[in-house]
Formats: sequence, C-alpha cells, structure tokens
Amino acid sequence: MSGHGRTGSIVLERVTQQFPVPREDREFTAVQDVSVDVSGGEFVSIVGPSGCGKSTLLSLIAGLVPVTSGRIAIDGEAVAGVNPRLGFVFQRDAIFPWKTVAQNVGLPLLFRGVDAGAARPRVAEWIARIGLTGFEQYHPYQLSGGMRKRVALAMTMVCEPEIVLMDEPFGALDVQTRNLMENDLLEIWAQRRRTVLFVTHDLEEAIALSDRIVVMTASPGRVKAVYPIDLPRPRSVTEIRFHPDFGRLYETIWKDLKDEVRVGYERSQKGLMG
Amino acid sequence: MATSGAKKVSWAEIRFWRILLLVSFLALWEVATRWGWVDKFFVSQPTVLAGQLWEWIRSGFIFRHLLVTMKETIIGFLLGTLLGVAIGFLFAHGQKLAHIFDPLMVALNAMPRVVLAPLFILWFGLGLLSKVVMVISLVFFVVFFSTFTGLREVDRDLVNNARILGATPRHMIRHVLLPSALTWIFASLRTSVGFALIGAVVGEYLGSHEGMGYVISYAESMFNATGVLAGLIVLMAAVIAIDVALKRLDTRFSYWKPTRW
Repeated sequence: MSGHGRTGSIVLERVTQQFPVPREDREFTAVQDVSVDVSGGEFVSIVGPSGCGKSTLLSLIAGLVPVTSGRIAIDGEAVAGVNPRLGFVFQRDAIFPWKTVAQNVGLPLLFRGVDAGAARPRVAEWIARIGLTGFEQYHPYQLSGGMRKRVALAMTMVCEPEIVLMDEPFGALDVQTRNLMENDLLEIWAQRRRTVLFVTHDLEEAIALSDRIVVMTASPGRVKAVYPIDLPRPRSVTEIRFHPDFGRLYETIWKDLKDEVRVGYERSQKGLMG
Repeated sequence: MATSGAKKVSWAEIRFWRILLLVSFLALWEVATRWGWVDKFFVSQPTVLAGQLWEWIRSGFIFRHLLVTMKETIIGFLLGTLLGVAIGFLFAHGQKLAHIFDPLMVALNAMPRVVLAPLFILWFGLGLLSKVVMVISLVFFVVFFSTFTGLREVDRDLVNNARILGATPRHMIRHVLLPSALTWIFASLRTSVGFALIGAVVGEYLGSHEGMGYVISYAESMFNATGVLAGLIVLMAAVIAIDVALKRLDTRFSYWKPTRW
C-alpha cells in the first residue's frame, strides 16, 4: 500500500501520545508507537475497544492536539496546527444550535471567506444531497438525530476537504437510520474519492465500509493488526453482510479484537471499583 | 431547558388563585387596620395607600423622582453589563489574566457594596454619578461571573469544529462564543436588574435630593408609613416592568431553543 499518487495521504510514524493525569504526578499514555499509512482516496477504519485512543488519533491528525512524540504527515507535510484541508465529523453532532440548517451548512464557507452569492448554490446543493430540502430554515432542536447528523456531514463536506476524519459518527443513531447514513456516506465517497479515516467500535460497520481495517489494542492503544477488506464495490452496507467473504473476514478480525475488548472491559470495571 | 410536566397546568386556574391570594391579603390588611387590630400608623392601610399613589400620579410628583431613579438604574445597568461582558470575555480568553485577578475578583465581590455607598457619595457627589457607580459595582460582578462561566461552559466540540471549519478568532466570538454565552448572560441580567435598582435606591436613600430613595427616606424621617410603602410599591412595579422587557428580549435571543414553560 504505497499508492501516494493522489493527494490526501496520511502517514503516522511511531506516534505516541501522553496526557498528564490531573492531580497526580504521572502521564497517561493514550496511544503508543502507532504507525499507519493511509493512501489518498482510501477508506480506512480504526477499530478497538473503548478507551484505546482511537479518537485521540483523530484529534492528533486534525491538529487539534500537538503530538507528544513521533511524526504525522499529510501529503508529506508534518501536521502543525489545524489543517483546513481536513474535515472532521464528531461523535456528537457538533452543529450550531442557534443557526438554521442553511446557516449551519453555509458556516464553513462564511469562515473561509466565500462570498454569499457563491456560497448559496453550494449550500443548496449539499442540503439537497442530504435530503433536507424544505428544512433550510429549521433549527437543530426541531430535527431528528439522523437529520442533525446529516447536517453535520454536509457541513464537513461543503468545503470539499481532501481528508475526512470521522469519530464514531453514527454511534448514536438507530440501526435503520445508521444503515441509510452509511450508504449515503459510501455514495458520497465513491463520487468524490476523498480519503476517509473512520473510527468505530462496531466491526460490522467497519468491514462494510472500509478498504482496510486497523485493529488497535486496549489502552495504551497500539496497532495490533491491519486487514485489507477485499469485498467488491460499490457496496450496500445492508447487503454486503450476506457476501460469502463477510463472515470469514468478521471471524478473523473478531478473533483479534475480542481479547482487546475483554482487556478493555476488565480494566474499565476495575476503574469503576477502585 | 425544562420540559413541560406530565400534567398540564391550567393557567386560568393559577391566575384565579393568584388573584384570590392578593385580594384576601389586601382585605385582611384593610379590615385589620379598620377594626383596630393593628395600628394603621405603623402599617398604613390599602385604601390610604391607593389614595396616596393616585395623588402622586395625578400631581406628577412621582414621575420626576421615578425618572431620576430609572436613569441611574439604566445607565449603571448598561455600563455594568457592558463592562462585565467585556472583562468576562477578556478573562475567559486569557487564562493567565484570569488566574492573576481571580483572588481580587472574589474579594471585591465579597465586599458588601451597599456599605460603600457613603464613600461613593463622598467621592462622586450627591448627584447622578455616585449612584451610577454604585449600580455598576453591583451589576458588574453578577454579569462578569456569568459571562466567564458561560464562556468556559461552551461545548468543546463546537469550538473544535469551528476551528477545523476555518473560523478566525473574530468568527469564533461572533458565531460560537457569544451566542453560547448569551444564555448565561441573559439569566444574569434578570438577576442584576434587581440589584441595579437596589443600588440606585440605596444611593439615593443615603444621600440625594431626588429619586425614589429620597422619597422613601423623606417619608421615613416623617414617620410616614404610607409614603414608605407607596414608594416601595412604585419600585416593585418598575422592577416587574423591566423584568418583563428583559424576558421578551431573552425569548427573542433564544429562538433556537426548544420552547420552555
């Protein structure tokens, strides 16, 4: 996997991230020695037990938090601060409650100095894409969870980022809405071919969506294994589960993931008790 | 905010009980003073009070004094709020500044400003300025602390999202921080309006030749319970009027929130 031809490649070299533990004189190691290569246009998922530092990795790549040691480069350029070529879809929908759907989707364009006339058709196009035409003047509290997520997605995509980082974006949705959103995402991805780095704890979701899956260990998060997913595309997340290879892939990867999930769970229990 | 309760409250019924409560209180008061259970020299009498209020309104006497008090209250309130919001933003932005000034702010806030009123009058004279300063000293801290808290409570994900979406610091204030803090600021405004009026009245009470505080203090020096109570009623009405106005303004700025009760 060294197809660095198109833009949007991400390289992580021995990335370690530590945070000071409040009121204690020690550091907590969130991720350790993580090396991952993502080529431009690739769809890669990171799976691992909760608390394994998956989300931390995304914050590091997005430049929200400076890395403790190691190197992160986007198209060969080291990450230094927030990168406008990136898009980030948060776990909770980080849309602005005091703005309407149209204002939310248009906000990134306003931030980037696109004038209102040029922004309007782009906003309308994305609102249509996410199927919210007619809801332009609604405020987020008037929308369902799935609709809010769509707004968040449109907000990220409207400035055409070359790389999209997604942090368990569909975790809070019900299964049906979730499958619809996953299919939408695949469709958008197939059309635009941006690099997607997708964090999830749901292995089925990861297999259905990705080109490759990175399995992480329980905290401190290390890379345990990387699996290519050679299922045919275009895929429908609801139907790909019946593909004969799906079960085989699931079984292989789950064998790796299962131990980590158990370790992670036991640790969280201990944390609760002590 | 709060969701509507399981049982729907009947506003007509609630209004009925409120009015009944008020009317029976006034009736009891009237009867008690008429039949000599209580001396009306000390507690006045509703009908006498009403007569006094009507007399004040008819002669226009009260409006001159109310206007003075309102002027002090509103000027002090606006300046105090502006100052509170500005310094709140400054401190929320500069962590170091906040840490340096934290003990000073807490100490100043703990100081009973009402006791300082005579000093303010000494420094700023018997006129408008001393009362405005008094009001500012009361309003500022309420608004400052809420703005500061409001800004620290801003959703981190929203701030991070705005950063990634390319917000400049000005965008951040205009589109993220200010709207988010407005809820807190408005909540504090409704508290501080009461304080503002107290500040102005106490200032007038201690040294002035006009304003509602002066009217009350003069009535008091004449052992005129009716004058004192009538003055208080006028002040109460003023606070309610301002509160209603602020509530309207709050609703106007929280259009994006689910309707509250």
